[in-house]
Amino acid sequence: MAAAPWLITTPYWRGILVLCAMNVMLALSLNLVLGYTGQLNLGQSAFFAIGAYVSTILIKTYGWNFWLAALAAIVAAGLVGVALAAFAVRLRGHYLAIASLGFAVITYQVLINWEDVTEGVRGIYGILPPVSDTVGLFYLVAGIAFLIYFLLDNLVRSPVGDTLRAIREDEISAASLGVHSAVWKAFAFGLGAAIAGLAGVFYPGFVGTLVPDAFGIIESFTMMAMVIVGGAGTMIGPVIGAVLLTFLPELLRGVGELRLMIYGLALTLVVLFMPGGIVQAWVAVRNRLRS
Amino acid sequence: MKQLMKGMTVALACAAAIPLAAQAQDKVIRIGVVMPISGPGSYFGVMGKEGIDLAMEQVGAKPINGYRLQVQAEDSACSPLQATNAVKRLIAQFKPHIVVGDECSDASLAIAPILEQNKIVQLNAGSVTMKLTESGYKYVFRIFPNAEQQSAPLVKVAREKLKAQTAVILYEKTNAGNDNADGFEKPFVKAGGKVLAKIDFGRDVNDFTAIATRIASLGKVDVLPTFALEGQQVRLSQALAQAKVVKGGGGPGVQMGSIWLPWGYDQKAGQASVGYVRIVQFDPTEKRKMVQDFIKAFQAKYGADKTPTHINAHAYDTILIIAEAVRRGAQDSEGLRAQFSKLKDFEVTTGKITFDGKGQNSDLSVVHFVETQKDLSWKSIDWR
Amino acid sequence: MTDFLTLILQQSVNGIYLGCLYVMVALGLTLIYGVLNQINFAHADFVTVGAFTAFFTATRLATKVLGMPDIAAYLVSLVTALGAGAVLGVVVSAAVFAPLRRSGADELRPLIATIGVSVLLENGQLALFGPVPYQFDSPLARETLRVGRIFFSAHSALVVAVSIAAIGALYAFMRFTFIGKALRAVAQDRETAGLMGINQNLVIALTIVIASALAGVAGALLGPVVVLTPFTGASLIVKAFACVIIGGFGNMEGTIIAGLLVGIIEAFTVQYLGSGIIDLVVFAMLLAMLVLRPTGLIAERKEENV
Repeated sequence: MAAAPWLITTPYWRGILVLCAMNVMLALSLNLVLGYTGQLNLGQSAFFAIGAYVSTILIKTYGWNFWLAALAAIVAAGLVGVALAAFAVRLRGHYLAIASLGFAVITYQVLINWEDVTEGVRGIYGILPPVSDTVGLFYLVAGIAFLIYFLLDNLVRSPVGDTLRAIREDEISAASLGVHSAVWKAFAFGLGAAIAGLAGVFYPGFVGTLVPDAFGIIESFTMMAMVIVGGAGTMIGPVIGAVLLTFLPELLRGVGELRLMIYGLALTLVVLFMPGGIVQAWVAVRNRLRS
Repeated sequence: MKQLMKGMTVALACAAAIPLAAQAQDKVIRIGVVMPISGPGSYFGVMGKEGIDLAMEQVGAKPINGYRLQVQAEDSACSPLQATNAVKRLIAQFKPHIVVGDECSDASLAIAPILEQNKIVQLNAGSVTMKLTESGYKYVFRIFPNAEQQSAPLVKVAREKLKAQTAVILYEKTNAGNDNADGFEKPFVKAGGKVLAKIDFGRDVNDFTAIATRIASLGKVDVLPTFALEGQQVRLSQALAQAKVVKGGGGPGVQMGSIWLPWGYDQKAGQASVGYVRIVQFDPTEKRKMVQDFIKAFQAKYGADKTPTHINAHAYDTILIIAEAVRRGAQDSEGLRAQFSKLKDFEVTTGKITFDGKGQNSDLSVVHFVETQKDLSWKSIDWR
Repeated sequence: MTDFLTLILQQSVNGIYLGCLYVMVALGLTLIYGVLNQINFAHADFVTVGAFTAFFTATRLATKVLGMPDIAAYLVSLVTALGAGAVLGVVVSAAVFAPLRRSGADELRPLIATIGVSVLLENGQLALFGPVPYQFDSPLARETLRVGRIFFSAHSALVVAVSIAAIGALYAFMRFTFIGKALRAVAQDRETAGLMGINQNLVIALTIVIASALAGVAGALLGPVVVLTPFTGASLIVKAFACVIIGGFGNMEGTIIAGLLVGIIEAFTVQYLGSGIIDLVVFAMLLAMLVLRPTGLIAERKEENV
């Protein structure tokens, strides 16, 4: 994987690799909330957006340095994530799903309407990435993604991971064991939001242009698809899902209009027949081969 | 054995190189097309592709000056991310000399720096945003009238011919809608008019009765410049007529529009559209031979009940312009750029092409006003 | 009547009409949730399918092939749209909901599966019908009725009438027929209902059929007043959810009130705040509701979100 940018020599595929690294981060962030803590979050794109917009505005309008702006954006996203957790504390299941969806819609609407700050639908142009060379950018983003993976992996193997899983499985019993689910939910949401914000920080520089349309409901659904198709509740699952769903649209380009249809079909079929995602299928195949 | 292997390898390499060499000698002008083919924006891309496909059949069928025209289309889905990916992919795999695109302003602006950096000409036939030609790009050319070109004539006619004092501007909440709305507001206010309200709406708004009611409560509105796509405008006009705001409903207001509305709108909107005054560039009722031939060919290919829209026409014209540049000696990107800069009064279905210093087609000689009559036909009015 | 009063009244009328549209879309959603405890994300796309079915029936089949007059053709199209919705509901139920129910899935999987179905339906229709809007004219949409200075189109009167009829029929069904009562029983407590000899699967299938048929009719009603593209459903779904939540998940009366409320608030937002922020206001309302009263305006269901 690390050698990939040298094997792949065109700016186009290198760009896709950068996108892939970002998607891996996004999938991991959602997996923390959705896969490990079992919270139905349909609005992850909002934190991605916050990361992108806060950092870009600080850099472009106020002249901040990229890294400081990035830090501010991550903190902002994390705080908003904690705020969303306030809903998660009181709601479960479908209520939370719709609430998170509503939250994403509101974020999108704010981005569109608060034109003085965000330029709204006009968009912000001429955004530079922190590293101008695509290969360098890939190593930066992928490196950070790797770091996140490493940290999260350790996190879920630790007692914290057990706590989150306990909340996912049976919140009431967990409470009886002394787990303050509210605190841990806030933690999961906040951390997941911060990571999504982190991915968002690199997005505008990569594309060069920032418009609110990049952060709609479809983006939340795509992230969810990555987690589910890959395998929610595992660490490698979201990575697989992110890689797959980043490259698949590019490979399916020739098919044009059918691309999104195939997407929808794939999502439905995976959920129906392979709920644990690719990871589950892989484990099943491996077991069958062993026996 | 080793010698044999070596020999075979060399032979294989040569065999592989032959088609490459052949390609290098093969004289081709590669035209990349970046348009939204999926998602809601495909409204533009589908029509754009229709125009380009037809043009390729007619003009691009045979080599020009020994050069074949070759088109490869990629989907931008109206998103800057997808558009930049599409362009990068084209550059990597197809190596275009020129890229036609995009329809959506966001995507057009997103790909401009990449094309500029790679010294590839960008020929735009569908975006309105002023930024495209105001950002100093040297490789950008646009045949589509920009926001100011669309709105300024409306202001002139509103003040001088319609004697309008008050206006309510209605526009869709996009880059294009915003630019057009500003393009009307500034000169109108400067000329002494009063904008009572600037009402924007998302592309997903379907019902306009509430908006029409609000406008009715604002008092006497003389003109209502509207910048939205046909589907929404139909519903909007009908609501405005119901609310007795516009002439079509017995009110005082005159709806005004720019080239966004294709022929056929009036029939769809019905009586509500009576009195609508708008500028058109591609006019299917124009007697000019090129226009009529285009319509015939279009209907032969796509169906006798389909009248081409300006989106079809503009896309069609891009191929005409490229072909003309090749005819005049362009062999690569720089050649295309040089020939475009020199084009003067070149006739196409949407009028004539003369690019100004910023790459914008400044020939608006064909642009004229039409007013919807009681029988829902267009009446051409030569207001300049 | 003063200008101000006229204005308020007019916007209220607009709002009620809009609200009825939302109610027709949201009612099916809430019905499915009430009985199945599942959200059908593809519901709005059922509406779009209904709209297209109605379009082709009214403008092609009924008028050109069968030679019916416009108004009759339109009414016929309401029926075919209903049928199309019902069929679609059966298919999705059998293909998606039933298997997931059998394998004992959690709440998330069916939701995601229906998201996949939604994307599939939207883009399938895009491939079939293309992105250019279809001009669906009902003969009633161009007739304007006036009462004093208040105006509304004949079509909006029809929408309100059909909505009331549909709601009334649904009520009667739920309250007075055996199957209707069985439905309510299953909604309240599936296990006990099963113990009492009610065939759950039949009831559930029926619910989905009714809900989807409602969606189809909603589509037929919406067709002449919206911009008809394969994405029409997507423009409505999120507001429909807002109605369902604000009214209380699974609660019919709540959904109706919420739908009308959302419609009226939308009309007045347009009047006083601006049409660009409609979604913002509606969703702020949604979130406020979830914070203050998560069970909705009318809390019928017991607290399941402990």
